[in-house]
Amino acid sequence: MKQKVLAWLGNGALVAGLIYCVLFAVYAGSEKGAVSLFSIATLFNNAAPLALAAAGETIVVLTKNFDLSVGGVISLTNVILAVYPIPGPYGAAITILVVCLLGALVGAVNGALVAYGRLQSIGATLGTMIVCQGLALVILGAPGGNVSDFIANFFTDQIFGFPVAALVLLLVAFVWIILKTTDLGVAIYAIGQDEAAARLSGISVSRTRFLAYCLAGCVYALAGFMLSAQTATGNPTAGSSFSLLVFASVVIGGTSLLGGRGGLIGSMIGAAALTLLQKVLFSTGVESFYIGVFQGVIMIAALAFSETVFRVSRLGASSS
Amino acid sequence: MPSPLLSAQAIRKTYGATVALDEVNLLVQAGEIHALLGENGAGKSTLVKILSGVVGLDRGSLFLNGQQYSPKNITEAREQGISTAFQELSLLPNLTVAQNLFLPTLKKNRVGLATHRANEARALEVLERFRLSSIRPDVPVGNLSLAEKQRLEIVRALSHDPRLLVLDEPTAALPDPSWLFELLFEPVKKGLAVLYISHRLHEIRAICKRGTILRNGRSVDTVDLSGVSNADIFQMMVGRAISQHQARRMQAPKDSPVVCSVDGLTSSRLKGVSFSIHKGEVVGVAGLEGQGQRHLFRTLVGLERAVSGTIKLDGQPVTFHSPREALRAGAGMVLVPEERKVDGLFAGLSTLSNVTVSSVESLQRWGWIDAKREKALALRYSSSVELNPEYFPFSVRNLSGGNQQKAILARAFMAKAGLLLLFDPTRGVDVGTKEVIYEAVERFAAEGGSVLMYSSELPEILRLCDRCLVLYGGRVCSELFGEDVTEEMMVAAMTGHGHGVNINTSEVKTSE
Repeated sequence: MKQKVLAWLGNGALVAGLIYCVLFAVYAGSEKGAVSLFSIATLFNNAAPLALAAAGETIVVLTKNFDLSVGGVISLTNVILAVYPIPGPYGAAITILVVCLLGALVGAVNGALVAYGRLQSIGATLGTMIVCQGLALVILGAPGGNVSDFIANFFTDQIFGFPVAALVLLLVAFVWIILKTTDLGVAIYAIGQDEAAARLSGISVSRTRFLAYCLAGCVYALAGFMLSAQTATGNPTAGSSFSLLVFASVVIGGTSLLGGRGGLIGSMIGAAALTLLQKVLFSTGVESFYIGVFQGVIMIAALAFSETVFRVSRLGASSS
Repeated sequence: MPSPLLSAQAIRKTYGATVALDEVNLLVQAGEIHALLGENGAGKSTLVKILSGVVGLDRGSLFLNGQQYSPKNITEAREQGISTAFQELSLLPNLTVAQNLFLPTLKKNRVGLATHRANEARALEVLERFRLSSIRPDVPVGNLSLAEKQRLEIVRALSHDPRLLVLDEPTAALPDPSWLFELLFEPVKKGLAVLYISHRLHEIRAICKRGTILRNGRSVDTVDLSGVSNADIFQMMVGRAISQHQARRMQAPKDSPVVCSVDGLTSSRLKGVSFSIHKGEVVGVAGLEGQGQRHLFRTLVGLERAVSGTIKLDGQPVTFHSPREALRAGAGMVLVPEERKVDGLFAGLSTLSNVTVSSVESLQRWGWIDAKREKALALRYSSSVELNPEYFPFSVRNLSGGNQQKAILARAFMAKAGLLLLFDPTRGVDVGTKEVIYEAVERFAAEGGSVLMYSSELPEILRLCDRCLVLYGGRVCSELFGEDVTEEMMVAAMTGHGHGVNINTSEVKTSE
């Protein structure tokens, strides 16, 4: 019974969810009309880019690596949408396909360098981040351009009362849940926990790590896509503000930066909580300079909580 | 003899300049439990890695059932019929028992998903088939005890229905090996071959008929175990006969006070270890690999926790939380660890700093290190181990293994601990340096210091110790004194056939 409770508490998604609920209660109390459909749709729209970026990062972090290329991929995606808009729903479909392939390609480069080239992941992905950022500036030298109207309208709208951004997040969460019940999904957790044991268990460590980077790159591109839908314009440095918040979201969502523990859904909720926090501080009249202070404190508190639960549950396991 | 199931011919494997295996021959028959014997570093693990597909070989050939056998990875090895239960356990604590059992290809349900339910149902069948139904398939492996993990590792290897099962130290964490022996009985009768690696000779004698002995990476011989004594096996493992002569040894002065006494020290790997060390005494610790010696030394200085039992230093009960505390308490205790390069040296620092690093606090003046005194003291203690002061300015990583060890010993002496814990102090050290180290240890004891020394080389214990504790399965199975400290007696006790003081005392007790 105690084990069950601890396992439940140890689920990072729950902690992040609680933080979110508390923040939402404060928000609802301080802002009129916070509980309206429009307001909630706005929350989803605002949270979607960071949530997707954190979701992608989580896949790599679970394998005990880091991926700093996230900001670069987001910038690159954003300028492509702004400089080469393709009109209409089919145009949107083609655009999604192209940017996801591009993101996966960047991921493949990361994966090749880290998994097969055995380079340190922070260094290698910092390199690809700078390259992507540079490419984004080559494509679009200064903020400007227009994202196709269909993308800018549809992906910030609602269908059947559901915000489209929420549906995109749900879709990614659903794909993740399916992935977790595949050999690849289990292997991702395995190599993050103990690479040597995973290898002795017959898992191809390099292949798993490579695929994790590819998947992550693909999800970053989705993040860039949703950001572009929201801003409707291009900015070659759009992704650079994401890097640190992505890791903060991952941590708040209960994923261990040491690999093997956590999950993607927690990170998405963590990202949503960080985004909501900004709104809460704004609506309660706290000066915007304080945002960073609050974000950092919440992150450390969430980290301390999940570590404590993990240690207690391990202690209980070894003594029983 | 029928054609063998596994035939290894002239296997050679090198890692860089190190030759791990050379000219290794091994024949294993179907339906046989074949022992693989050898000291630490004899090449057993390398052979296991080659057989299980983890590493390739440089030269030689392997045949399984008459077919060329050259697996590229562990999955191929399993498919061709060899699976392995590894000594270091290859289970993943964050995955469930069921997931671990079926890695890397999990069981799928009808729509092709590897759900928990699909895997746990199949895992239950496997666990029941291999007498492990005490473990539930849905728990994370991290929640299992060490013994349960060990069993799961074995069952996982067996569940691939291999033709050859490799078991590397399978009973190291098992309280009772009979579970394993019963488990193996049926499959072996049906033709399963087992390559059984263990340091516990009585277990090997219980289930193996034949054994192959490795020494320094070469196969020495394959013997019928019923025809050879433990002493013969030992001789083949170490490459020389057990010496009979009694070496000259120093004795602790009569009725010198007890410096350190340990009573009932118990942890996951130690089972009620008790002994005491007197002032000016050098006490030896002998034991085959993995009998708890490492844990004993680490527990004494606070690197591991004991569950129960007491350690007294100068009569005061102590509980150390770090080697730093151990050094600063009472008489002080300092450990010279086995892994010189990993745990002992500061590779980037100069030789001088390596000698003085444990004593810098006493060398401080106004918060700065008094360089003159540092040098002077370092000179004094270096000369006691004949460490050439010309090495002082150079980075310690450029020194030879022998000189590195001298630097570490000089550091330990300089720290002025009353009790020196030496763990295999001459491993990888040349003969000349060994003698220097012995003399330094003797001098240390003659000046009133006490030493507890584990050594994998028995002559070293003979050379220095008048008293020897023999560890077996985490217990002090035997305590040998004076005349009884002979290689023969130590080997007998180390292999579980001890007739040391424990048995004597039990006789005394029954006669009372």
